[in-house]
Amino acid sequence: MTPAATLDLEPIVERLRRVTVEIAGPHGGLGSGVLWPRGCVVTNAHVVRGAHAAVRLVDGTRRDARVLARDAEADLALLELAGSGVAPATLATAPVRIGSLVVAVGHPFGLRGVLTAGIVHAVGPLVPGGAPWIQADVRLAPGNSGGPLADGAGAVVGLNAMIAGGLALAVPVARVQAFVRRAGVRAT
Amino acid sequence: METLLALSNELATAVEHAARAVVGVDARRRFGSTGVHWRPGLVVTADHTVEADEDIAVVAGDGRRVSAAVAGRDPATDLAILRVDAGVAPVAEITTDAPRVGHLVLAVGRGPRASWGVISALAERMLLLDLTLYPGFSGGPLVDARGRVVGITTSGAERHLQAAVPAATVERMVQELERRGRLPRAYLGVGTQQVRLTDELRARLRTDQRTAAIVVEVQPDGPAGRAGLVIGDVVVALGGTAITEPLDLRLSLRPEHVGETVTATIVRGGEPRDVPVTIGERARR
Repeated sequence: MTPAATLDLEPIVERLRRVTVEIAGPHGGLGSGVLWPRGCVVTNAHVVRGAHAAVRLVDGTRRDARVLARDAEADLALLELAGSGVAPATLATAPVRIGSLVVAVGHPFGLRGVLTAGIVHAVGPLVPGGAPWIQADVRLAPGNSGGPLADGAGAVVGLNAMIAGGLALAVPVARVQAFVRRAGVRAT
Repeated sequence: METLLALSNELATAVEHAARAVVGVDARRRFGSTGVHWRPGLVVTADHTVEADEDIAVVAGDGRRVSAAVAGRDPATDLAILRVDAGVAPVAEITTDAPRVGHLVLAVGRGPRASWGVISALAERMLLLDLTLYPGFSGGPLVDARGRVVGITTSGAERHLQAAVPAATVERMVQELERRGRLPRAYLGVGTQQVRLTDELRARLRTDQRTAAIVVEVQPDGPAGRAGLVIGDVVVALGGTAITEPLDLRLSLRPEHVGETVTATIVRGGEPRDVPVTIGERARR
């Protein structure tokens, strides 16, 4: 058994790449988004500022998507994207453990489908009493925003939103689901 | 994918296991650092994070604050040992098995927080790491994939940004403290500067060492002065360890060497010679 075979990320990465869309940012820059259940895309509020956004699927198809909801404080936005023909992301149900493996997929600096891997550094608020964030020891860059942070099974545990002190900060999937529910879309 | 998940779970379990013996150390004005409950009642941390000798608090995993006192320091290796109530946390599982380059390792900070990486090189006295030591991690454990402590992390090591003191070195220091009841500070009583060795000298010394440390100051009643070292002597080796710069000299002076007589290989007036030197103890502050 070679080390490469033991640590092969390829099976989960392929699936993650298919559900990670590109979103044209407000100034022509690129962000990322995740194909969510029920014909939606979730991304960061700071990635889409208008009422519409240009979404590019993994096969290169470009679509115009309407912004259904935004929550600037949680840094989340929900886009309508029915009939993409791509199965949505699998969402993690168990809480993440500190030290467990995580991978991020996104489009940093316009490079498509870039994978970075690391571990969960901590989970908790950034300021006392604040909302919890997943803090991950994973390298991110501008363009990763709105892309998935996934566990070792490829299930999405959070939405990458920020880089702080070298750490990736992701909105936990439970918080994204609550946002989607509030927007009137039932995530299954 | 099962292998990946299994690895992921093992890493998380390793962090959990190690974190039980991890404490916070509040001994500086800036953010606190991390420590490891090494022996019942003894916490090891990074010396550069212990700015004060008094008013030190150790924070248990459940948030309890316990007062601690400095039991010993070794600035050369950047280690400090604190005396605390033994009930502060479980004692760490330590391994002194030789770490290998490429081994997967995790750094654990108070919280707990974690980062991962590999051992990228083995320096003479340090493990050099390809991982991020986040603010407050210094003094915390570097652990293997089983969660066993292989070293104490420090971002304060002079030549390396991310490094760890091997567990075997920590263990020797803790034993020294237990044996003597304190940790003496070894010293020679010289000031040195780096100097280049000529090709001719290197041939005569049968060494490929390019530099050494020239004595520019001698404390008359210090260990080096008593051994007869004078200004201008070039120290090439001490106790068999190559001295290529003043830092090597400082790092080779370990607490356990106090009172030992070692051979200093020097060059005086162009002539190599060996001089026995008894390593002294610096007066306590």
